[in-house]
Amino acid sequence: MSATVYPAPKTSSAPPLSQKPGAEASCPAGIFVLLAGGALWLVIATLLALLDSLKFHNTNLLAGQSWLTYGSVQAASSAAFLYGFGVPAALGLGLWFLCRLGRCALAGPVCVFVGAVFWHCAVAIGIGAILCGRSTGFASFEIPLWCARLMFAAYLMIGICALITFHKREVERLYPTQWFVVGALFWFPWIFSTAALVLLAAPERGVLQPVAAWWYAHNFDNVFLSFAGLAATFYFIPKIIGRPLYSHYQAVLAFWTIALFGSCGGIPFGAPVPSWITSLSLAGTILTALPIAAVAGNFYETARMDFGALDAEPALRFICVGLLFWIIAGAQQIAGALPNVSAITDFTLFGAAQKELFHYGFFALTVFGALYSILPGLLGLDGSAWSPKLLKLHFYFSFLGALISYAALLVAGLEQGILLAEGRNSFDDVMGRTLFPLRMSTLGDLLVAGGAVLFLLNFVGVLDKARRQCCARLKEAA
Amino acid sequence: MNSGPLLFLGLFATMAVSWIGFILTPQMQLTGLSQTNTVAVGNTLPETYPVAPSGEAHAGAEVYRANGCAACHTQMVRPSDLGSDLRQEWGVRRSVAEDYLLREPVMPGSVRIGPDLANYASRADTNDINRLYLRLYDPKQITHGTLMPPYRFLFDTRKILFFPSTNAFVPPDADAPPAGYEIIPRPEARALVAYMLSLRQNGYLYEAPPPESLRAKATNAVPTNAAPAAAKPAPAPK
Repeated sequence: MSATVYPAPKTSSAPPLSQKPGAEASCPAGIFVLLAGGALWLVIATLLALLDSLKFHNTNLLAGQSWLTYGSVQAASSAAFLYGFGVPAALGLGLWFLCRLGRCALAGPVCVFVGAVFWHCAVAIGIGAILCGRSTGFASFEIPLWCARLMFAAYLMIGICALITFHKREVERLYPTQWFVVGALFWFPWIFSTAALVLLAAPERGVLQPVAAWWYAHNFDNVFLSFAGLAATFYFIPKIIGRPLYSHYQAVLAFWTIALFGSCGGIPFGAPVPSWITSLSLAGTILTALPIAAVAGNFYETARMDFGALDAEPALRFICVGLLFWIIAGAQQIAGALPNVSAITDFTLFGAAQKELFHYGFFALTVFGALYSILPGLLGLDGSAWSPKLLKLHFYFSFLGALISYAALLVAGLEQGILLAEGRNSFDDVMGRTLFPLRMSTLGDLLVAGGAVLFLLNFVGVLDKARRQCCARLKEAA
Repeated sequence: MNSGPLLFLGLFATMAVSWIGFILTPQMQLTGLSQTNTVAVGNTLPETYPVAPSGEAHAGAEVYRANGCAACHTQMVRPSDLGSDLRQEWGVRRSVAEDYLLREPVMPGSVRIGPDLANYASRADTNDINRLYLRLYDPKQITHGTLMPPYRFLFDTRKILFFPSTNAFVPPDADAPPAGYEIIPRPEARALVAYMLSLRQNGYLYEAPPPESLRAKATNAVPTNAAPAAAKPAPAPK
């Protein structure tokens, strides 16, 4: 197969700041609020997840507090991850990529800044509302309607600026990262407004509600988060390794197949809906093997097992492991959708394991890698601003945490499914026997939370350096 | 792939495919769903199905939602060839779209850390309301080693004035309140129990017919009315 060699994004050849106000000079505030706020929400999400996990060790833990029930905390943790961390991280990184690859300044930086502040405030109110018992009851769309409206307005403020930035780019030719960013930018408002409309504003009747909720959750993960994460993967792996992307066409294939097949799915095979819906969902999910193969093959050929670079550049380590987790999570989703397997694994912790790996394994690690590369630049520092010790520790915490959590939940889910499928065991016996792996996942949650805190500490150190540098400059000027 | 408008159109088209498949077409197919009659089994007569939950049960659904019960409990029973839901005696037949017609919001859940509740009312002892309260107040008294936390904030412990309340929840000795005190379920607990007692998916329908064994009995018994849903509409007069 003849592969078109595609040039790697050469950021080093960008014009110096003195000649032309580039991304760094004009856009930090808005992007910075999005990314830093996201890092803060991630810590909150992981701490809430840890609290939930601890409830499996002692069911009486905080059981007297009506706002800290297992279900409320889980909804709050999920909302903090998806809307506090996921969407702002996707937007912040996306804006940065659009500026950097289009060689242009951010359009409407004030608008982005205000939008980012609005978004984070809306998420904070929404999570408070969830804990006060105002959750909608739909997984992945727990935020109440009035709050979703605020978030949508804030998103539009940022999204429109992103599109204008994209439109006035100075480099006409698009790199795959830009497709993925634009895809994510469009996908989120479409699915979010659809879900808000048919679930909350004008609720559909009966079983149509869960169909829409499953569809939304599936799209959020498989298309929106995949696009946002892979945008970083496609940018950083070729750039850091210093080799062009192996195949442009495989990237095209991956992009369109994620959009087409990744968006069809999420309905459990035994769900109480007309069977054509579950069949369509099954077909779409199986066909996501195509983008997984295309992405895996493309990066395998690009990297050619270049392990030296992994050691040299910490950001690359995060992104490569994130990519690996994306592939595993995708493969597990396909396996779990097959009717024979789903008969055993549906509605067990098997699905929770997949979500854990996708969120904390793939997306969080990829974003960490990207943040390690770009945050110092936004603050006018270079990569050496990070404390290498904390960075290394953070990698092992986040990587092992996601892995342990995933493995524990996977074992618990499979055990639960197989024991239940035997049909002789009572449900309570089965849960008793899966309790050990379930409790093991707490260790993973603890490490993941520790990793998020370590990142925040390291980030505070970088901020401090930036402050000192800024003070020194002011003194010089005086 | 260097043109922004083309990228937009392509994304819009793929999005539209998914949206038409999972939002629009199901809406067109199912939005006209209405109450129907159950399939008669044996000597029973067809009944209207589903019946609307009572006002208190509806309020209970809000309690169920607010406390995130759906994080651990599903409310859907899969067919007999998919998993062991029916063997777990969580239902007598698979769940179908009709079952959720009058529910708002619909909370089918996605993971079973606790048992499925689609048919809870059919297996609960509806006469022993005290036991249902105990399931909320101290689940360990019913199933030792259960992962379900106690929901005591749904109850008030208060001093007995003059004579004990008839609505009081009487726990077993291990949870007994101090002498002179009684435990009163708050309105939320009462609503939640009403909701749990409204969870019933036991009417046989055209799309969820009774199992073979029951159908064989039905043919031997006195002929009953055919299910209206199954009956073909009479040809229109010309």
